[in-house]
Amino acid sequence: MDHFHRLKRQVQHYIFLLGTLAVAFLVGGAWVIRRLFPDNNDVLVSGGLLLFGWLVVWLLSVILTNYALQPLETIWRAILHVTPGHTSTAPPNLEKSKIGQELVTTLALQVYQLASSNTSLQPVKPTSNSSELESDIFHNFPLPIMAVSKNQTISIANEAALKFLGLTKEDVFQKNLYSVFDLAFSDERTLDNWLQHCRQNKATDQHFWQRVRLKLADQTTVKQFDLAAAYSKENPNDIEVIITLFDQTARYQIDDEALDFIALAVHELRTPLTALRGYIELFDDELGDKLDPELLGFMHSMQTSAQQLTAFVSNILNVARIQEGQLSLQLTEETWEAVIKNAVDNMALAAKLKGISIDYTIAPNLPSVAVDKISITEVLNNLLDNAIKYSGSSKLIHINAGLTNDGLVETVVSDDGVGIPSSVMPNLFEKFHRNHRNQARIGGTGLGLYLCASLIKAHGGNIWLKSKEGEGTSVGFTVQPYSMLAGKLKDSNNKGITRNAHGWIKNHSLYRR
Amino acid sequence: MDQTTTTTAKKVLCIEDEHFIGELYARALTKGGYEVKVVIDGSEGLKEARTNQYDIILLDLMVPNVTGMEILKQLRDPSQPALKAKIIITTNLEQKEETRTAIEQQADGYLIKAEVTPKQLVGILDTLN
Repeated sequence: MDHFHRLKRQVQHYIFLLGTLAVAFLVGGAWVIRRLFPDNNDVLVSGGLLLFGWLVVWLLSVILTNYALQPLETIWRAILHVTPGHTSTAPPNLEKSKIGQELVTTLALQVYQLASSNTSLQPVKPTSNSSELESDIFHNFPLPIMAVSKNQTISIANEAALKFLGLTKEDVFQKNLYSVFDLAFSDERTLDNWLQHCRQNKATDQHFWQRVRLKLADQTTVKQFDLAAAYSKENPNDIEVIITLFDQTARYQIDDEALDFIALAVHELRTPLTALRGYIELFDDELGDKLDPELLGFMHSMQTSAQQLTAFVSNILNVARIQEGQLSLQLTEETWEAVIKNAVDNMALAAKLKGISIDYTIAPNLPSVAVDKISITEVLNNLLDNAIKYSGSSKLIHINAGLTNDGLVETVVSDDGVGIPSSVMPNLFEKFHRNHRNQARIGGTGLGLYLCASLIKAHGGNIWLKSKEGEGTSVGFTVQPYSMLAGKLKDSNNKGITRNAHGWIKNHSLYRR
Repeated sequence: MDQTTTTTAKKVLCIEDEHFIGELYARALTKGGYEVKVVIDGSEGLKEARTNQYDIILLDLMVPNVTGMEILKQLRDPSQPALKAKIIITTNLEQKEETRTAIEQQADGYLIKAEVTPKQLVGILDTLN
């Protein structure tokens, strides 16, 4: 039988007892009056009987109320006692309740337990010192927690943090956060950047990061975790930020392995592709002028197909990287015209096979741009590849590059081809999306525009698409002039390295195709 | 009488275990005026790079016995006499962050083989001083 049912039975027991007493009083009173006034049934006797009965009922109601509401009173006093602003209220006496004492005691203690997070009040006596309790909770908390002071040194780290990071108290205490931990974030929204933002704009703030990586002191173990941080500008203990880590090493390891598998598959595909492209080029060189035009055309088709397959294989790897948040760009200063020319040269043969020519117009005095040359060439290749595929009967693709009003470098690839139905326009930049009407006739994977959008976004630019069915398509995107990012890039560690379309060469100008 | 200047051909060491890639590179580079030696084994390649003077070393990362990364590390070891040759990594394997950083610090170039045809490779090497 639980506490509540026991209370119910006790209340029932008291009501029955008091009711029996009331009946006994009334019957006894009537008997006494009858004996005192045996021959008189007048109004006085009836009135006296009524008054006596009323007095008995009043007395009983007082007793009943007192007993029945005692549990409620105890709980009320307990709640009042823990309510902020009522600390002078006396604590309830848990032994006072005559009925339902177990239930009342349990409920009152529950009230104290719920309120114990922000009060040291206890029903009878406090069990321990509150700061000791907090310290105990901090050190035994099952997640790694660290507190960092305003001068960026680690003030305190709990047992779980030291264990997770494989460090001792001496390794971390009063040491600079960044010298102890080389945290790697998946993008530029790092802990440090967030803190700088908070210092200027916030009194308190919280932030959560996923996929943070940390190489431990042994230089081989890599931990991966999510990180939550709480910032406080005016903390009395000089603590500026509190950091909690959520270990996700095992989970993210699976993603890494999946990417490893893709990287391996890409390697296995690229090796025979290298041979194919090399030998086709050799045949073209040695036999090109001896073959009749039809056979030469076949060879060029082979060459284009091998090149398309190579590009597709790179696309797969890049999409996997984007999904795992592992795509890293190395922005360097590039002449935009050279980048465009290189991309046009890449696609020239594929265009020529369909009788299409690609021309480009570059606005005079266009500033140099900050791009990752490999990635941006992939964007241009994909856009040109689409324009060639969906060219229809049109024979010209045009690239136009100029400055926007915001000072960004905008490039538009336009064709007069088959265009895109308005119904599919909203989903074009999504993965695996293809224009279904053309699916049977035109090959493709639906990765191209998704990849372009992701890469442009990573460059800090925008991409847009304008199309009318039967009239053609224009895809435009922006990249930033180098001058906008020059300061940031100088601080990065890729000084002296110039990336080219399919690799990089140190301190040398880009190779010519 | 015409004055003729004799320019010695630049020497290229190609450490590459895929037979056909070595063959394609050797053919294209020879045609482009380079003197080429192809080695398919890592340890042999390391020895060759140390004993004979090369201008350019094309280094595949996945070669038998000694890996390309180890070869790179040993050839750029600061305690050893500095090697004159420029080292260009030629690979089809995408590198992890850590490896990429090491390559960027120690190599003079990095090329994805599938993306560069032999003729284009010659064009790239022509731009090296």
